[in-house]
Amino acid sequence: MKKTLLPLFLCAYSIASAGDVQRHQDPETGLITWKIQEPGLSLQFIQLMPDYVTAIYSARGLPPSLVKTMASYCVFGTIIKNESDAQLSYRVADWRYVTADGKANPIKTKSEWVKEWRDQGVSFRWSILPDDQTFEPGDWSQGFTTIPLPPESLINLKYTWRHQGEDHEGTLQGLQCAPEQAPGS
Amino acid sequence: MKARCKGFSAHLNRRQAASGRKLRLLSIIALLTMAPVAAQLPLPELSHELTRLSEPIDAPAFQLKDMDGEQYALEDYRGKVVMLNFWATWCPPCRREIPSMEALHQTFKGQAFAILAINEWETEDHVFAFMGQLPVEPTFPILFDPDSEVAQSFGVKGLPTTLLVDRQGKIVYRAVGGRDFNHPEVQEIIRALLPEARGQKK
Repeated sequence: MKKTLLPLFLCAYSIASAGDVQRHQDPETGLITWKIQEPGLSLQFIQLMPDYVTAIYSARGLPPSLVKTMASYCVFGTIIKNESDAQLSYRVADWRYVTADGKANPIKTKSEWVKEWRDQGVSFRWSILPDDQTFEPGDWSQGFTTIPLPPESLINLKYTWRHQGEDHEGTLQGLQCAPEQAPGS
Repeated sequence: MKARCKGFSAHLNRRQAASGRKLRLLSIIALLTMAPVAAQLPLPELSHELTRLSEPIDAPAFQLKDMDGEQYALEDYRGKVVMLNFWATWCPPCRREIPSMEALHQTFKGQAFAILAINEWETEDHVFAFMGQLPVEPTFPILFDPDSEVAQSFGVKGLPTTLLVDRQGKIVYRAVGGRDFNHPEVQEIIRALLPEARGQKK
């Protein structure tokens, strides 16, 4: 009974859902991109495989132990854009990923990653989606969103933003971590 | 002010005297780094909006080196309009806007306008290999901010971020995210900042 109820709970929780969501699967790689369109805001989450994450951080000269840590996370390329004619802001610390048990978990921020890298003697401070930004019209940004889950994990992602003095919230249902290897390989 | 004639071409001539094998390896690394990103990230179109700051801010002073180790100081550009572009080779929108930056540089060649592209965290070798893959050859200075301290002093949170500094050394415009910089509206913004430069001779 509990096993049946949990997915129903997850669906019910996520009924306060995202705006217009488009899901696109790359025909060559099989990897999936979710694009969310909210009034004034667009958000994209792109599956990134562990091998790709490994390549990115190895090329940046991070030590093998840190590269391994990064690649162990579920990583999404994230693009966030202000498509309005007013200021828009976001704060990753307010976002949550919701797991199958219904628990809403905070997302590790760029500051937390940079501190972890610094503590290991690495001064690299880029690649992760900035903690927070205030966008003027036309501004946009990209970076990685990292979730400590294994490949192919399924979550709902709760995201928030502030626009024209009001706070907004949406939930992207069924966001899935990339597989270990490209489908079909 | 020193004449700034150095660019990628001059650096390339020097590098061609160095090991060709090393250059080929670096080029392969650059391609491998670029290709997966290009395949996986569908990027927004490049718009052209620049936001005017409601209160201009003094641009922090800095000194950074280019590929040849030559020092560039922002204060040497006082009296000119300067576009500061913070970028990295692994940043797809950074790569996309380089051709428009070069076109803008050519548009205002000979006028009191300069572009300084400030690379974040990467090595000269890596950037050099990357430059060889571009469809255009940048002729504006590429400077290196290896510890990202200059970016931090300017409050840069994401790449690319572009700032326009006026003749008095104040930040007057900002853009976060890739842009088409050779758009007529961007040119107009720069022209509007230039007449003061033309009106006052040293």
